[in-house]
Amino acid sequence: MLRVMSRRGDDRVVWDVQKALTGDPEAMAAIREAERIFAQERAKGATPFRVEPGKPVERIDQFDVTAEQIVMVPRVVGG
Amino acid sequence: MTPVTQVLGVLGWVVITLAVLQTIWLIFQPCFKRCSRAERRATDLLRDTLTPQQFRQLTWRGYLEIPSPTEPQRVYRVPRSKGYVQVIENGHMIMRLCLQPVELLPDPDIVVMHKLMIEANEELYLQKANKYLCID
Repeated sequence: MLRVMSRRGDDRVVWDVQKALTGDPEAMAAIREAERIFAQERAKGATPFRVEPGKPVERIDQFDVTAEQIVMVPRVVGG
Repeated sequence: MTPVTQVLGVLGWVVITLAVLQTIWLIFQPCFKRCSRAERRATDLLRDTLTPQQFRQLTWRGYLEIPSPTEPQRVYRVPRSKGYVQVIENGHMIMRLCLQPVELLPDPDIVVMHKLMIEANEELYLQKANKYLCID
């Protein structure tokens, strides 16, 4: 799942890797959409983190289709 | 009763009504905020990101303590709503940090933002934040 923080709370894109591996068009489309949003938010300066229960939080640079959850934080500045 | 007294009386009631309405708003404002869709979604993300103990701490104490991944004696105290992040070392606040997203986010998302940034890359977090040193 990709979660992008925004003023609306967070926008989510959910995909099923197993279905995508079997060629399910809906799952493939969801992954493409998640990749597109990931690239778009990166271009705006957002930082992506892989967040999985029981594992340390990890900052990532590339979209990872196998990640259970990716959270994107908008660009931050010192206040 | 003169017209002036009547006007003053009406004005008095208007002032009292406004004061009562403001008090009611201040009391119930957090409830309204929690009820908004954005706040609900952000709270879901917060709940998914924190452990039950951390969520309880944030709810009851009004802040979340995040241990430093690199300095065992350091803790970051993140407030539930807008404000500075306190850096506590050996039980003493040594500085306050200010870091904010360029986009407006609900308060629970801000807490998640601090947690992810501190835990994933503390050095970068400290680089980006504005620091206000506390001198005893």
